[in-house]
Amino acid sequence: MSRQWDVFCAVVDNFGDAGVCWRLSKQLAAEHGLDVCLWIDQPEVLSRLCPDVQAGRDMQTINGVTVCRWTGSSLPRPQAAVVIEAFACELPDAAVDAMAARERPPLWINLEYLSAEDWVEGSHGLWSVHARSRLRKAFFFPGFTTATGGLLRESGLEKQRQDFLAHEKAPFLAGLGLPPRAGERLLSLFAYPDAPLVAMLQSLAEGSQPWACLVPDGPLAAEVGKVCGQPLITGRPCSLASLRVLRLPFLSQQDYDRLLWACDLNIVRGEDSFVRAQWAGQPMLWQPYRQAEAAHEAKLAAFLARYTMAWPPTLAHALQDWDMAWCRGRWDTVAWETLQSRMGDWQQATQEWRKKQADLPDLASKLVQFYTDWL
Amino acid sequence: MKTAQELRAGQVIEIDGQPWVILKAEFNKSGRNSAVVKMKMKNILTGGGQEIVYKADDKLDQIILDRKEVTYSYFADPLYVFMDTEYNQIEIEKDDLGDVVNFIEDGMTDVCEAVFYNDKVISVELPITIVRQIVYTEPAVRGDTSGKVMKSGKLANGHEIQIPAFIDTDDFIEIDTRTGEYKARAKV
Repeated sequence: MSRQWDVFCAVVDNFGDAGVCWRLSKQLAAEHGLDVCLWIDQPEVLSRLCPDVQAGRDMQTINGVTVCRWTGSSLPRPQAAVVIEAFACELPDAAVDAMAARERPPLWINLEYLSAEDWVEGSHGLWSVHARSRLRKAFFFPGFTTATGGLLRESGLEKQRQDFLAHEKAPFLAGLGLPPRAGERLLSLFAYPDAPLVAMLQSLAEGSQPWACLVPDGPLAAEVGKVCGQPLITGRPCSLASLRVLRLPFLSQQDYDRLLWACDLNIVRGEDSFVRAQWAGQPMLWQPYRQAEAAHEAKLAAFLARYTMAWPPTLAHALQDWDMAWCRGRWDTVAWETLQSRMGDWQQATQEWRKKQADLPDLASKLVQFYTDWL
Repeated sequence: MKTAQELRAGQVIEIDGQPWVILKAEFNKSGRNSAVVKMKMKNILTGGGQEIVYKADDKLDQIILDRKEVTYSYFADPLYVFMDTEYNQIEIEKDDLGDVVNFIEDGMTDVCEAVFYNDKVISVELPITIVRQIVYTEPAVRGDTSGKVMKSGKLANGHEIQIPAFIDTDDFIEIDTRTGEYKARAKV
């Protein structure tokens, strides 16, 4: 039985596609002993997340994963037992034909987007039949329940987080260029450009609670600089009344995790940072990818309903209002004040959610189990 | 060919050389403006069922079936016999009629459509709206004319249907055959 798994990744925007595929590939190799090849159409994007990856090389092995540039003529390896199309990316006809021509075709999986909506459970694990090749393809949906594909989570992640909080948090923050300030809370900011940045930063600046807003390098940092009235310089905090704003250098995946662990509040977006913020177990605000016909609002509502199900009603309603407003480009001051005044309860609730999710099988393990069942 | 998102219940597609009638098609947005369509289907040759899922823009082969107008003639156990406009008899088994059998009764005059695949009748479709008589129902509770309170009413073939409380025995009602539910009181 071949232990080769091929993961195909098309970079659509920013670093989420590469980030998720890289985490998955590394975990399949490290924890399940698989020979993983990550085919990615833009290795240069991955090289920013993982500096060991050299952008100009078409093939290299990093962390036990073979990273190959995916071009129009790339085919899955002839011995690949499993071929994954990540984020529903489409394999070209030649790749499908190559799989169909094999005596025993591989398990072909379409790894879909994460959603908390109810319909996901009913669609996870179903098959389609490719019209031309007649190959069967499984639809694998990540999710938050046992009836879905689960979430990406490395086995040692929680221990790393605990160790970091116990020993490494202060030096990490010092290394980012943020001198400690008594009573100050830390906020990491990663959002789409249509987020209500002006209202948020004004609200934080005018509040009695001191905050430091940490903005990883990227287009958003320039937008935040405009609000601050000056370009943000990496490592040099900018003060706005009770708010300090600090532009961070581009962070590797490992350092972004540390940032999430270190902050009191994480504002995240899309899929990869969204999941990592949940493993951080700190209060968070999620901005889903904007979709036509407000489909993203349904996704946000579905997640918030699950996420806050066991929360005290006041806290749950405040987060639901605050997050939905953020998603619609508005800053809900009332909800924010409620949440801020109950920071302890909020943190406890998010930790309980983290523990509950950590009790479920992780996505990589469920993929391996799916393959075993298929055999 | 049609994309998965264009397909609707009642249409027939070919998968792996087999004809499948779509019983239910559910469209869902997955992420970044992509979508999937989950379909519940029945194999019209074997009667076997399955659920599948496609990307919304996946292409599938649709099969256009032959249709012929028919009217119901009689029941010759285990076959229901219909007649077309040229007086040809068309026989179909109860299982192939599905829920349609609930509304078949002697003397019905509805013009139905027999559906054929490779010259074999695979189903019969009723008009969307049919009229049937309630042969028995409990008397209405006085005063309720809202239509919100429902009770059971029996059709001539014994099938029971939920009807509003104000419907009496011998009344005629309209039924929506897509849902099998009461639609309105009929004026006959």
